[in-house]
Amino acid sequence: MIHVTSFIYNPGEHEAEKASNSYLMSLVALVAGLPLPIINLLATFFFFIANRKGTYFVRWHCTQALLSQFSLLLINSVGFWWTMSIIFSSDTLSNEYIAYIITVLFFNLTEFIATIYTAVNTRNKRHVQWFFYGRLTNLICKQ
Amino acid sequence: MKKIILQGTLIILMFFSTWFLLRQVDWMNLLNVEKTADKTEHKLGELLLEIYKQNDSVNTDKFVLQSIDSVVTKICIANNIDRDNIQFHVVDENKVNAFALPDGHLILFSGLILEAENPAELSGVISHEIAHIELNHVMQKLVKEVGLAVLVSMTTGGNETVIVKEILKTLSSSAFDRSLEKEADIKAVEYLINAKIDPEPFANFLYKIANNDSDFNQYFSWINTHPDSKERAEYIVKHNTDKVLETEPVLSQQTWDLLKENLRN
Repeated sequence: MIHVTSFIYNPGEHEAEKASNSYLMSLVALVAGLPLPIINLLATFFFFIANRKGTYFVRWHCTQALLSQFSLLLINSVGFWWTMSIIFSSDTLSNEYIAYIITVLFFNLTEFIATIYTAVNTRNKRHVQWFFYGRLTNLICKQ
Repeated sequence: MKKIILQGTLIILMFFSTWFLLRQVDWMNLLNVEKTADKTEHKLGELLLEIYKQNDSVNTDKFVLQSIDSVVTKICIANNIDRDNIQFHVVDENKVNAFALPDGHLILFSGLILEAENPAELSGVISHEIAHIELNHVMQKLVKEVGLAVLVSMTTGGNETVIVKEILKTLSSSAFDRSLEKEADIKAVEYLINAKIDPEPFANFLYKIANNDSDFNQYFSWINTHPDSKERAEYIVKHNTDKVLETEPVLSQQTWDLLKENLRN
């Protein structure tokens, strides 16, 4: 699922720190924004905008962090609005809902662990490519 | 590009298959969700009824209770509704009102019974309230208007009379959502048809109280909590027209007259 390789050039200390921060940014936002999924995406997006003129290594990792947030945004939003409709409208608790929330928690936890792992490795100048998102980033982020 | 699409599809598949597999578990049973909800509703029903009985006089006339019981039982049996789930209480009050409390308690004001011209009209109102109970509208309304946290705290010790009275007021004098009212009306028509009771008198009852003089309207709480009566009466009639109906009398004329007489005394 996660592939550690060497980048096409050896990134500097400053680059590694910034690239690692892009993951930490989504991590901090993930904790703060759990009930409101859009916050994660916004935080990562602003960090991405701030670094869009950075070096290739920094840009690449900002993009991967941003892309990974999109899918979380989708599944978390569905979970959020489903919960709201149970609390405030006629929807009731069901096996489907509980199973969905557990699935969402599982995917969030996986992303959480992957993000910490990637942040640590990127800080050590190692290039971490995620399953699907790595390839998608390669397609979008050009040198 | 092909690999990206393949990997993306794989992630989506993983998500949905995890969800699908987890759906096979009966979480509601495992986490005792239904039992907890039933317990909350049961306690809430008892609490509200207790307060209600303290403030209003509940009719204990055997004949009155037996007559109403035969109507409720007829509707329940014809619709496979567990009779033990519905507990009705007749309250001596001039207002024309009826409403449902949590845990299947149905409150009927004597004013409403006296206002009904025949047993079929009364059966319509009873069916409508039973529909609210069976469709779980009462708890839905309370959760929406009072909040789940308040309801749970009330049933787990935070027994505050002010809140209980407020809830009682919400249930007895404010309307359900329009969609819930329509749902209950349509269900009530189904109940009536299954019980071989003509739904038309129910529609007539709605027309009648909607057209009443404004001076008189202050007594018609049921109509205040059930707005748009004319429109409702129209779709009840409409819902009813495509069904061929075989009707049976709900109560004999003699029983009906005696019931009213007992209520007046």
